[in-house]
Amino acid sequence: MMYGMLLRGLFAAVVLAVWTALSALPALAESRPALTCDLQSIVDAKVLRVALTRYDLPSFHVCGPDGALLGPEIEMARQLARALGVRAEFVDNPESFDAVVDFVADGRADIGISKLSQTYNRLKRVRFSEPYVTLRHALLFNRVAVARAAGGQPPAAVLQKYHARLGVIAGSAYVDFAHRNFPAASVVEARSWEAAIESLLNGQVTAVYRDEFEIRRVLKNKPALNVQFGSAVIVDQNALLSIAICDSCSKLQEFINYHIGVTRGEFTLERLLKSELGK
Amino acid sequence: MNAAVGLHTDNSLKALSRSINQPAITLAAVVLALVLGALRLPFLQHLRPVGDFYIALLQICVLPFLLATIPLAVRSAMASGSAPGVIRSLLFWVLVTLLAVAAMSTIIPSLFFNYSAPNEQMLSHIGALLGRSADTIDVEFAIDPRHATQNKEASDFGIFALIPTNIFASLSSNDSVRVLVFAAIFGIGMALTERASGQSIFDALQHIQAVCTMIFDWFSLLVPIGIVALVAPQVARLGPDAFTALTLFAYAFLTTGVLLLLAAPLLCAFALHASPACVFGALLKPVMLGASTRNSAICVPLALETLKNDLNVKKELCDLYVPIGIATIRFGTILYFVIATLFLGILMGRHFGVVDLVLLAIFSVGASFATLRVSGLSALAPLAIVLRRFGLSYEVAVPLMIIIDPLADMVRTMLNVAINCMIPTLAGRRGSIATTESSV
Repeated sequence: MMYGMLLRGLFAAVVLAVWTALSALPALAESRPALTCDLQSIVDAKVLRVALTRYDLPSFHVCGPDGALLGPEIEMARQLARALGVRAEFVDNPESFDAVVDFVADGRADIGISKLSQTYNRLKRVRFSEPYVTLRHALLFNRVAVARAAGGQPPAAVLQKYHARLGVIAGSAYVDFAHRNFPAASVVEARSWEAAIESLLNGQVTAVYRDEFEIRRVLKNKPALNVQFGSAVIVDQNALLSIAICDSCSKLQEFINYHIGVTRGEFTLERLLKSELGK
Repeated sequence: MNAAVGLHTDNSLKALSRSINQPAITLAAVVLALVLGALRLPFLQHLRPVGDFYIALLQICVLPFLLATIPLAVRSAMASGSAPGVIRSLLFWVLVTLLAVAAMSTIIPSLFFNYSAPNEQMLSHIGALLGRSADTIDVEFAIDPRHATQNKEASDFGIFALIPTNIFASLSSNDSVRVLVFAAIFGIGMALTERASGQSIFDALQHIQAVCTMIFDWFSLLVPIGIVALVAPQVARLGPDAFTALTLFAYAFLTTGVLLLLAAPLLCAFALHASPACVFGALLKPVMLGASTRNSAICVPLALETLKNDLNVKKELCDLYVPIGIATIRFGTILYFVIATLFLGILMGRHFGVVDLVLLAIFSVGASFATLRVSGLSALAPLAIVLRRFGLSYEVAVPLMIIIDPLADMVRTMLNVAINCMIPTLAGRRGSIATTESSV
């Protein structure tokens, strides 16, 4: 009798344990969808989820007057979706460049296209495609402040060992780049590029740091700034602008690299500067 | 008989050259060139090859002329025993003139800029000009020093720039400064060995000099055509932008330049006890040749001929000073550097005190010597030395100065020629050498 009760209790415990384990499986699957994601799962789902910054990146992607997304990055995402035979779904909630990478890393998007530079920190979390454009790092600097600090030397001597306040966009790759390339500088993070430029005009920083395209775009759109502010390019530092891809998506990465290879030349500095979307 | 025919031909050629190069005709050519240039007619670009051809003709004999003239002048000074006095007198007037030009170049424009600040519209125009020319980046540098651009060889800078390590290379590259240094050293050596051995080639050099002078006389017939062909396209290159955006710079530079250009013949007339109109008319030829060719060295033969033949300035002073002075002392560049710095100062909101102005004059004189062996836009590079001392940006100056350079280069060369012609005239005035000898 006693033995029978023991057997029934053991059986009930095993059943309960198996049921608990089986019922926990879907929850586990929901929290780590990225582990199973790759090209085939996107084709099966018939949708390519593309993460973008919620703000415009002129010449790369902007929100048109009718609310439609425009720009070469949007076009590239659509081409990829067409090549996969699926539709593109744009997720434009991310608040920053790093947030776009977060969306891809967390599985909330399959890829991220937002003028993303490859960095060591980002590569720990996502894959990156081959760069679709490479831009040199650049500074926009206050000429008088730099000339004073140079004390008769060429400005390059001061900029190379820059030790004043340097503006960058918060949550961008340039926070990492600034700490690595200008360790003596006080890095000031602005919430947006416009805010960074504003802090340069107000004298809160004496230089802002981004890529050659953005520096030249500022001067092109506001030529009067040329009198007070100068542009400098760092010849040995490049921003490799690439598509962020979920960490498990090796086949998708291969697919995207092929697409970038056959459409190479679509993104060039001169073309980007001449773009009507850059104004 | 043949010699008489040759002499007659030479004299009639000189007479023709004199009648063609009268001040009235030279002035008319200048006015015509300015009017055509201002009209910016499309055909003016076709005149450019004519002008280039004319410069090429003039350059044929410049270096042989310098190689012959300098040793002859050195020998003449050493043989007469007046060399120390001549050199002291020339040095005295060079220093006085440098001081006067530096002072005028600093005081007049700083007063001018004091009363006329740039307005918002002008700043906006300048920004737009810079924006258009800022297709290239201002500064390039590398974080890793191994990627930094390599500096040029040390032998291209400083005192090395003057040493003719290979005279044949200097001759083949038209490097007149190194040729001058070689000719001066060689001239001293020739004069000394002549005393010791009694042998020399000075007669041959005199012949070479005479040949070069005759060839310059032939080409002088074309001076009015050369002025129109060279000045008109140069003026036409100046767009309306230059005057809307760079009005302040242009006014300050032209006003001070014209004052200095008027002061030079007036002082010459005073020293020579001659009519200012005569001196002005005589100096007009080499000065306008400088304006049209924008090459000081080309003007040396004509400047020497004018000083010696038309103004009767002492031959040994002219032969010794004019080639060296025109090639090395650039008064126009001093004025240009001072005004460019003051102009950039007002653009960038930098105030210049009295000490700053004195330093500016000194740095500008020093930087003008750094332009030796370079001409045109390359001569702007030493401006960086001056600007950076005052915390001003050379990168802003370059695109602006390029816009105004077609005009500024002409005025710079005119000043170099006119003021360098004035120095031997002042040094040679009656009693000057004796007075200086006793006072130095």
